[in-house]
Amino acid sequence: MYFSDVGVIAIILALGFAVYTILVAVLGALRGIPALVVSAKRGVLVVAALLLLAACALVISFLVHDFGVRYVAQQSDLSMPWYYTFAAFYGGQEGSLLYWALMLSVFSAIFVFTSRRAPAALVPYVMATLMGIEVFFLFMLATVSSPFVRLPNPPADGVGLNPLLMDPGMLIHPPMLLMGYMSFSVPFAIAVAAMLSGRLDNEWLRTIRRWTLASWTIQSTGLLLGAWWAYHVLGWGGYWSWDPVENAALLPWLTATAFLHSTMVQERRGMLKVWNLCLVVATFALSIFGTFEVRSGVISSVHSFAYSDIGGYFFAFLVIIIVFSTALFVFRLPKLRPEQEFDSVISREGIFLFNNLLLVGIAFATLWGTIFPLISAALSKETMSVGAPFYQHVDGPLFALLILAMGVGPLLAWRRTSMRALWRNLGLPALAAAACAAILPLAGVRDIFANVGFAVCAFTAGAILYELWRGMRVRHKHGEPYPVALYQLVQRYRQRYGGYIVHLGLVLLAVGVIGSQFFQTQENAVLQPGQSMNVIGYQFTYLGNIDAINPGSETITAQLQIWHEGQLLGYIYPGRTFYQHFDNQPASLIPIPTFGLTDIYVILYNWQGATSATIHIFVNPLVPLIWYGGLLMICGGLICWWPARRRKTAIQPVAAIRRGQGRTVVGNENVTEEDDRVGVETRAEASSARTGDTQSSTGKRDEEAVI
Amino acid sequence: MKMKRWRPLLLVLVVVAVLAAIWSYVMIATPPQKTLDQKVQDVASQLKCPVCQDESVADSPSLIAQQMRAVIRQRLQAGESEQQVIDYFVSRYGQQILWSPPWQGFSMLAYLVPFGLFTGGCILLFFILRDWSASSLAPGGTAKGNDTGAEADDLDEGDFALYRQQLEAELAADDPVFASQYARHEKQQTEAD
Repeated sequence: MYFSDVGVIAIILALGFAVYTILVAVLGALRGIPALVVSAKRGVLVVAALLLLAACALVISFLVHDFGVRYVAQQSDLSMPWYYTFAAFYGGQEGSLLYWALMLSVFSAIFVFTSRRAPAALVPYVMATLMGIEVFFLFMLATVSSPFVRLPNPPADGVGLNPLLMDPGMLIHPPMLLMGYMSFSVPFAIAVAAMLSGRLDNEWLRTIRRWTLASWTIQSTGLLLGAWWAYHVLGWGGYWSWDPVENAALLPWLTATAFLHSTMVQERRGMLKVWNLCLVVATFALSIFGTFEVRSGVISSVHSFAYSDIGGYFFAFLVIIIVFSTALFVFRLPKLRPEQEFDSVISREGIFLFNNLLLVGIAFATLWGTIFPLISAALSKETMSVGAPFYQHVDGPLFALLILAMGVGPLLAWRRTSMRALWRNLGLPALAAAACAAILPLAGVRDIFANVGFAVCAFTAGAILYELWRGMRVRHKHGEPYPVALYQLVQRYRQRYGGYIVHLGLVLLAVGVIGSQFFQTQENAVLQPGQSMNVIGYQFTYLGNIDAINPGSETITAQLQIWHEGQLLGYIYPGRTFYQHFDNQPASLIPIPTFGLTDIYVILYNWQGATSATIHIFVNPLVPLIWYGGLLMICGGLICWWPARRRKTAIQPVAAIRRGQGRTVVGNENVTEEDDRVGVETRAEASSARTGDTQSSTGKRDEEAVI
Repeated sequence: MKMKRWRPLLLVLVVVAVLAAIWSYVMIATPPQKTLDQKVQDVASQLKCPVCQDESVADSPSLIAQQMRAVIRQRLQAGESEQQVIDYFVSRYGQQILWSPPWQGFSMLAYLVPFGLFTGGCILLFFILRDWSASSLAPGGTAKGNDTGAEADDLDEGDFALYRQQLEAELAADDPVFASQYARHEKQQTEAD
């Protein structure tokens, strides 16, 4: 009895329990038997426990180097340090499927534990849908893609992990991204449950939005780590190459972002129900499409080490999801009528719709570019590559519009905004943009598109900071020092200010992208010892090559000194490592010293003996801003997601005075239905909406009304 | 009053004029001139490295990309235009050497389809919004008693004071910062009564 046999048994048992859970949950919901629902909840927990057991079995097989397991022999060898041996768990297809299934079961268990907060009618259907997805993965794991297949003649040593994956990034990027893909199944399950049970109220919305926010944050982290890894390992001077697999990871992120925005319209105005459901379903379908694309190899990509023959199964699964969801839509359409009508094109709702159009447009263009080589090959028999320039030309302007909309959006009130209020609010940010557009060309930034991009970023950053400052000023007038005021604002109105922080992060990231896209320069030199090359005032002096031979690999590094104004700043060692197990496939060692906000990206291109090296240097301005901005976005996402403190004092809702008056005073929200957490949120919105509404008649009022 | 209404527009015009002036000054004073390095870079980034996975000739460290960059440099130095150099590589390697679909024939669809759909989406959005706002402004619109004048011009002062009182009470209950102010307000109210 090997550990791997434990894994096989655990997976088969988990499959059985998952099927059981589906049946019991659906039966319990249809017949209204609470005992069955409780049993289903336990079923979910059992599946999670069994998958944890299976995962442990695989991890132990790796750590004890049980090369009798085919997957272990393929993915690891004796020379690998324990952490890469551990990470080899998800280094190949079978393991990453197991990881997917494990994470799905863990998230399902978390859903069960927190299901008190979710609408009770939905819970059984959510569990059934989640387990339905789980069944697909368990079926794959039990049949065509088992990580526990044993070899008749175990080899003495394994093949080892692909050298591209032997990097600290490997420890965190793939699990994050896979978890991001997987986590979109929870919002999907909640959406399916809503369609099955017919409950699509605000309580449902809050549940699904919280889960989507969590997924969004995980996926953002995965994308950011992927970019960081590509930048530090792949050695082409960039962080995002519009590779099909990267695109596939971006697509669900885009639709999830669109969903997070349009739910706010649904929450406040009861509109866009069908559209929101479409976005949730599309997000999940796209994340399965991403997995399918990576696994099937229909489109060539740098992630080609992941090709396999299970693409067909994923394709079938994708088709099932789409057919099933479409059928549900048709079934539920009569229930999805909007509750309220639109008022004005110039309103928060209007800009949210435009934002959705942009995000979906970017997603479509990216998907279109990704699959266009296939279409081209099928229809016109032309081989075609669609690379970075295409996406820069097509997606670039759309992203610029998106950032512009991000600046205008928060300044618009719900329902409608008077032109005058708009002028007032837009004045300062517009001035910032104009100043930016005027100063940059004089300062030597000659590219018109880059200037437009920077000006747009200045506008949006100005708008967000102005909003923050207005909030702080009001609280300051009530006696709070500015830092405390900022903290209290963010702490009390998390959704709103967390959102601003995400936006600010995206603006920073955009500035970094514009800087590195438009102003990257390259230097190339063949150096002899003692010779040096000059880059933006820094001198790189070459000393010689070092050749280090390790078991299984050989590393050649060039030694360089960095000098600035006669001072030695340090040494760098760009190099290449060759792995014998992988046909001497090279991996680059890339030092990236940062001076101010400019990265110097040093690659060893070529060398001869110990005394000659071809050094290639990319000068990447503003790239560090991408990482700072990305971190800020993740922080903002966490702030939005963070559970609110539960307050005990019940507050009389605003709607009470409406009822007392027999008419709506400032009739923006259905406050009656909100719980107190969202009540706070809503009041913040109500008063800022009032800012726009009342300014036209009484300019003074807005000071108080901001908060 | 009339002057006041036009002031923002005037301001915008002034700002635009200043920006245009700066731009034309910069352009005339130092017309943009690409160095040979930039030209090589521009051409190389439009060509796909034939042996790599998804890398342009400009980015790839492979030997063939280095050679191709050298060829680009030679040809540009010999006086060929950027387009001529690209055409030369297309004639040698075929269409797939291009790193993005060319603006001709079938591959124009790559650009036209997303652009067309986005434009279509904008038009659709415009009509949807117009339709919705028209139907909400119509006299017989559904459940519209309350928003014929949400600009607050017609909010009478009594309603507004009531709303504000309520808002402050809630803020005070919720947030210590507002408690003191609310107490003051309450006091004023009772004194007034």
